[in-house]
Amino acid sequence: MDASRDKTGLPPASGGAGRAPARRRLGLLDSSRGLGVLLLLPALVLVILFFLMPVVLTGVFAFTNMSTATGISGGAHQVSPGSLRVLTERYGMGELAERLGQPTYLVDERGLAALEETGIAPGIVASLRRGHLDESFASRREFERAIRALPDRPDTRTVKRISDAFSRSLANARFTDAGALVAAAEAIDPDLTPEEKDALASATYTGWSWTTDNFRRLTSSRDTTRVFFNTLFFVAMTLVFFNIGYAMFLAIATHYMPERPAGIFRIVWFLPRISPVVIYVLLWKWVAWDTGFLNAVLSDFGVRPRNWMLDSATQAWFFVIMINGFVGASMGMLIFASAIKAIPETHFHAASVDGAYRWQQVRHIILPQLKWPILFVTCYQTLSLLTSIEQTLLATDGGPGGATEVWSLWIYHTALNNYAGNLQYGYGAAMALVLVVIGIVLSLIYLRLFNYNALITRPRIEL
Amino acid sequence: MRILLDKFSKAFGAVSVIEDMTLEIGDGEMLALLGPSGCGKSTTLFAICGIHKVSGGRILFGDRDVTSLPPQERNVGVVFQSYALYPHMTVRENIAFPLRIAGKSSVEVARQVDEMAQLVHIEPLLDRRPAELSGGQQQRVALARALVRRPHVLLLDEPLANLDAKLRLEMRSEIRRIQLETGITAVLVTHDQVEAMSMCDRIAIMDAGRIVQIATPTEMYNDPHTAFVAGFLGNPPIAFLRGVVSGDAIVVPQSDVRLPKPNGARNLAEGTRVSVGIRPENFGPAGDVPVRGRISFVETQGRENLYDLMLADGSVLRSIQPVRSDIAVGDEVEWSVASDRIFMFDDKGERI
Ligand SMILES: Nc1ncnc2c1ncn2[C@@H]1O[C@H](COP(=O)(O)OP(=O)(O)OP(=O)(O)O)[C@@H](O)[C@H]1O
Ligand SMILES: [Mg+2]
Repeated sequence: MDASRDKTGLPPASGGAGRAPARRRLGLLDSSRGLGVLLLLPALVLVILFFLMPVVLTGVFAFTNMSTATGISGGAHQVSPGSLRVLTERYGMGELAERLGQPTYLVDERGLAALEETGIAPGIVASLRRGHLDESFASRREFERAIRALPDRPDTRTVKRISDAFSRSLANARFTDAGALVAAAEAIDPDLTPEEKDALASATYTGWSWTTDNFRRLTSSRDTTRVFFNTLFFVAMTLVFFNIGYAMFLAIATHYMPERPAGIFRIVWFLPRISPVVIYVLLWKWVAWDTGFLNAVLSDFGVRPRNWMLDSATQAWFFVIMINGFVGASMGMLIFASAIKAIPETHFHAASVDGAYRWQQVRHIILPQLKWPILFVTCYQTLSLLTSIEQTLLATDGGPGGATEVWSLWIYHTALNNYAGNLQYGYGAAMALVLVVIGIVLSLIYLRLFNYNALITRPRIEL
Repeated sequence: MRILLDKFSKAFGAVSVIEDMTLEIGDGEMLALLGPSGCGKSTTLFAICGIHKVSGGRILFGDRDVTSLPPQERNVGVVFQSYALYPHMTVRENIAFPLRIAGKSSVEVARQVDEMAQLVHIEPLLDRRPAELSGGQQQRVALARALVRRPHVLLLDEPLANLDAKLRLEMRSEIRRIQLETGITAVLVTHDQVEAMSMCDRIAIMDAGRIVQIATPTEMYNDPHTAFVAGFLGNPPIAFLRGVVSGDAIVVPQSDVRLPKPNGARNLAEGTRVSVGIRPENFGPAGDVPVRGRISFVETQGRENLYDLMLADGSVLRSIQPVRSDIAVGDEVEWSVASDRIFMFDDKGERI
């Protein structure tokens, strides 16, 4: 290392000047800093691609009105009945909308040239140019009356051909940019104000655009409140009764068991976690559905067969919480069990001779020392329950009648799979963004609640 | 309160650790359980406090048979080797724990905790957590927690093993003071013979799950029943010579050492092999049986020096003498054994 640095310090020999920068570049790789950055680069790229990008994109999409209708690339301008309605309702330009919506006939050179092409009698073209050039008609009937009044007296079929050539209606016309649209509109109504042009351009736009409407819609929708409380209920129940409560019960129960049965029990309770979700949920469905296990047993007692999972909202919740809970409990059980194992055996011996029976040991020795694992599991499981979707999707799909629709499922139904067929990516992204923000806020609250700082301060050891 | 272990046995599965041990500890007595690692001292202690269920025999506190009582109902105080203080509680809460579990009123709890803190001199530390205490302070807290319920029995499992030499000396007298002050019956488990001798009324020496000898420290030192006991007590330890009965003397083969036959060996047959235990303080310039040898090792202990003397047959005798500078390793010397202070053991290690 030193030697090579000395060498670069020598006066450059002939050709040495060209080599020196190369060596200096290598020198960067020689230092652990440079090498570290280089080695981290692939990881950094992956982190950005797969961790940061989804969040950033969610944030970006949340402020658009992207949907199946708008597509995710740019759009065009189209004067549809829908866009005219928008023009009327949102911009209060009903009169303009009516004008643009009506068929319009304009006698101009373009139309005359087109008419000549069709090989119609030149006398008719000449008399039209002479009598009606630059004249416009608001309805077909009016225009055709004028045509019939021409000196050539064309027959009815010819009148139709002529009127078609001069039809200048904007209805259902498609323009690639706002300029073309405005030009076409001006052909109909030359006196458009700048406001009217802007309104027209935005009302007829079929692509996506930036908007904060998603959030306005979220705050005002009645669904939001319902799904929010569903989610709250789901997370709180599953967390308290299963991910913490049941997990703690299992951990403590296995702690006081002999080693071998305890190990077997832990593995049994771990099964839901390691079995494939689809199969696991299918087993539950099989237990619950009309011809399933429950009904097979209960029919002997004269109970009417039914789908126990979807029969009522209460039953649906019962199953959703159980299905999610049994999967989630295994993690808490493992963490609590290992935390209890970390408590030295002599603490339990000491507590026993101090007069504490088992439940007093649990209350005074185990639980207080499990603060940190409980915090961890609560935090981790809240976030994972907030985003948990697959079990609920497979079990009830939010049913019956949206009773078990939780936030993550709602996002899925809005953005990726709904009956109406219009997938609202932008609205879904806004919902997802809310979930992300709630997750972050919750984590911060938890950390404060459990006094994280007090837990990590070092003890003052005095020897 | 008197404790009686009556033909107590303990086995872990197929491994029998203790068989038919009978041991009586008098009321207010402090007894040391002394023995090498793995001999079953902790096992005995855990059986007394009820953490281990016994496999056979009875345990009596006074006249009450507690053999089948769970530890919660035996009212024993235990100081564990690792102290086992509850890390999430303050010192005050640790000491108060047995009282709170017993459902004492908070006024009563506070009063007794303060009293205990005073007894073990930890009043200023009451609001700290165990992690914020030194080893000696933790040890006092453990002692206070063990004593706060006024237990019938105090059990101490190597309580001083984790302390440095100075603190150990301090805590030795401290624990003894508290034991005497409270008059509690106590069992001290240790493998440190100095600790056992300095703190306890009696010593029970254990070997491989059996009690080899029970006696007061002085008795035990001066009259060990086996070579094992003689070897266990005394620091620096006793040295053994292999000898053979020859006429009215014991000779050490391949050397000129001739020791007079003690009374107990009078009717031993000619040629019987024996081993002779000689404590370092009974071998030196003064004595009646001369022994020649070469100094093989000198250890300075401050006030005294310890000399290892290698005999012609290769065996080694130890001598402890006031510091002197005229002897160095390799010197040839002739010192003497005080023949009335030697112990003779047969080839099974039993005292002759
Ligand atoms: N739970 C157990 N299962 C099986 N064997 C055990 C168990 N506990 C102790 N033993 C065995 O019993 C014997 C005595 O153990 P014990 O802990 O009483 O020794 P000790 O005298 O206290 O030793 P130390 O001085 O090292 O603490 C040892 O051989 C040990 O291996
Ligand atoms: Mg032990």
